[in-house]
Amino acid sequence: MVTSSLGTQWFLARSDLDSLVQALRADDRRVIGPTLADGAIVYDEITTAGELPAGWTDEQAPGRYRVRPSGDDHVFDYTVGPTSWKRFTFPPLLPITVADREGFTFAQPVPEIPPLAFLGVRACEVAALGIQDQVFLGGPFTDEDYRTRRGGALVVAVQCTRANATCFCSSMGTGPEVHGGHDLLLTEVAEGFVVEAGSARGSAVLERLPARQATHAEMGAAVDGVDACRSQMGEPLPMVGIQERLLAQLDHPRWAEVAERCLECGNCTMSCPTCFCTATVERSDLDGTRSTSERIWDSCFDAGFARVAGGDFRSRSRDRYRQWLTHKFGTWWRQFGSSGCVGCGRCITWCPVEIDVREELAAIAPPLPPAPEPVHVRPAAAAPGAYSVARVEAVHFETADTATLSLTELDPALLAGRPGQFAMVTLPAFSAVPISISRFRPDGIDLTIRAVGPTTTALVNLNHGARIGIRGPLGTSWPIEQAYGRHAVVVAGGVGLPPLRGLVDQLLAERSRFSSVMLFYGARTPADLLFADELKALGERDDISVALTVDRAGPEWPGRVGVVTTLFDQVSCDCARMTAFVVGPERMMQATIQTLIGRGVARDRIFVSMERHMECGIGLCGHCQMGRFFICKDGPVFRLTEIGDTFNREGI
Amino acid sequence: MDEHRAVLSMLNETWFGAELAAETQARLASLASMLDFEAGTEILREGDETTEMGIVISGRLALRMLVPGRGMVTILSVEPGDIFGWSVLTAPYRASSTVVATEAGRAIVLAGPALRAALRADHALAASLYPRMLQAVGRRLTATRMQLLDLFAR
Repeated sequence: MVTSSLGTQWFLARSDLDSLVQALRADDRRVIGPTLADGAIVYDEITTAGELPAGWTDEQAPGRYRVRPSGDDHVFDYTVGPTSWKRFTFPPLLPITVADREGFTFAQPVPEIPPLAFLGVRACEVAALGIQDQVFLGGPFTDEDYRTRRGGALVVAVQCTRANATCFCSSMGTGPEVHGGHDLLLTEVAEGFVVEAGSARGSAVLERLPARQATHAEMGAAVDGVDACRSQMGEPLPMVGIQERLLAQLDHPRWAEVAERCLECGNCTMSCPTCFCTATVERSDLDGTRSTSERIWDSCFDAGFARVAGGDFRSRSRDRYRQWLTHKFGTWWRQFGSSGCVGCGRCITWCPVEIDVREELAAIAPPLPPAPEPVHVRPAAAAPGAYSVARVEAVHFETADTATLSLTELDPALLAGRPGQFAMVTLPAFSAVPISISRFRPDGIDLTIRAVGPTTTALVNLNHGARIGIRGPLGTSWPIEQAYGRHAVVVAGGVGLPPLRGLVDQLLAERSRFSSVMLFYGARTPADLLFADELKALGERDDISVALTVDRAGPEWPGRVGVVTTLFDQVSCDCARMTAFVVGPERMMQATIQTLIGRGVARDRIFVSMERHMECGIGLCGHCQMGRFFICKDGPVFRLTEIGDTFNREGI
Repeated sequence: MDEHRAVLSMLNETWFGAELAAETQARLASLASMLDFEAGTEILREGDETTEMGIVISGRLALRMLVPGRGMVTILSVEPGDIFGWSVLTAPYRASSTVVATEAGRAIVLAGPALRAALRADHALAASLYPRMLQAVGRRLTATRMQLLDLFAR
């Protein structure tokens, strides 16, 4: 009988494997394990050891997967199949908000989550679970659904004793040995399994098994099996410094070449055990009274993944492939402190056109000296489904399609926000949209919204007294102190003015701290100028100089016509003592920055606010990634020097 | 002579004139006269002969083009320091847009025939002025490209 088994190695005969399945099931756990289905070894619920794929093995190569009889009775003679354990810890579909239009409530559903046991978790997969732990539990935001599912799951790991041609865990440092993270650890040898407990929970299961102490021969056979697996993988790939190496090659011609082959099917991201990007979809009753927001797995290869109202930031296949590879092997380090790849090889096997990440990395990222990482402050975070309800106090149309909603009855957290931050805003049955906060008042905030899609159209058509769902404040704010003792210039283009309106309020409230305050604003036509009355009033003050320009106008417009950069011709102050805050389309910001730098403004005193597709607001759904950064949490406000070569670059 | 000095001093305060060689500034000042304009004054008309080029000292001019059905469209405003009437230097010497004052002000103006004669006779003057003219026109071209991108459309 087994007692106090941590650290000791035991032996379980193959014929007794069902005792393990039953011991796991005895605690009302559902046991998930490998089983043969549809010509593949997949993870699904099993009730007896007889459902395990004994006598089967798999053959894998780029774009190829086959199962075949192995000719012996080994149970774990395959490597990894198309499914991964994230299916059970991070469900492909999860309701996150149930909105009720009658009561105007946004409730977060709490699903029933039975405890699970995972049987047959390979070393790369134990590492993948650890990486997703860091994603969902390690940051400022904790995913409670994941915590419950993951915390309840007992992990029975199995060390591989053979490798497929697609395996490269030894290159990623994740296997074939299991380095912790398991409750029980099995290594298959000739007559059965060498078993070891990795936790008290695992010991408790082990104590119920008909195991005996393993012999030296059995323990030696286990080590030899894992060594054989390692040698089958060959020399590890040179992964040192891969993150800097990749990020230095954003312009490599290979991105376009691999994109010629890539079908953008998303198989790599769906089969990857660590990919975690999601989208939110709305499902509504026919009469719209109840609607559910469902979080679904998304892929950065999806055509709409980086789309915003004005266009698509990653419109080309090469942009999306670069995004995926640079995130997985590069920017993941900065986000989570590790690589996002565990070397399981699924993306290679399941790629229909045989793209092999190992070949792509070798071709794109030659060795290079490492660069220092920037320091960044992370803002507080809130669960993606957690909306508070606010009331619309007033609606003011700024232009034909843009309105300012003044909100009241707000969550106090929103009142404590700072200019530059944004909120996710929703209505029952509508997808949430990111809206910058255009003013902070003692008892409320303003949102200025341009009607460009279903949600924004519904929002601008709300009336006084209507309610909205809101989550925030999110993202970074304008670092006003960077302009203390200096000339503060605010440059806005088009609908870029709302995120700067609160900044102008703040600059004027602290006016004595600045040498001068300037506001330059360019719009398409005079009819497109936002906050026209306020701009007129500001123009009459003597503590701020306001200059407006439009791209074209009729003869009734006596003001300036021309691009916003021409306004700098009239600036006479010492530009070396200037701090600039710029928001507009990226190309307009680029032209403004060139002008500012040409006038002698220091690059590290130029701040911009970036736009990307945002859904979760906490840097986890993946949509808003721009190089090393996630606009929703690292931005939207950035120092120009911080974003470096990702600014005004196509497809980032 | 006082007016010459006044013109020189005004020229020196514009971005267009400030970095020109001293001899060029002096030569331009000797050719120049002052133009005071009221809001609404039409200074040049699109398609007509360009009689003079000018450097705006104060006020604001609108460059407009006629689009049948849309009326006069302002495509650029000319602010202090910037020029108008550059077509005075290149054949066929026709204004590419109508120039109307939208705010009263003053400009230094150079009559077309006299300016062209001076540039033909004095290559040093031409070598000094033309790069500046090219810069002014080039800035306008770059700005027009930005407008063409229509960045503020959705």
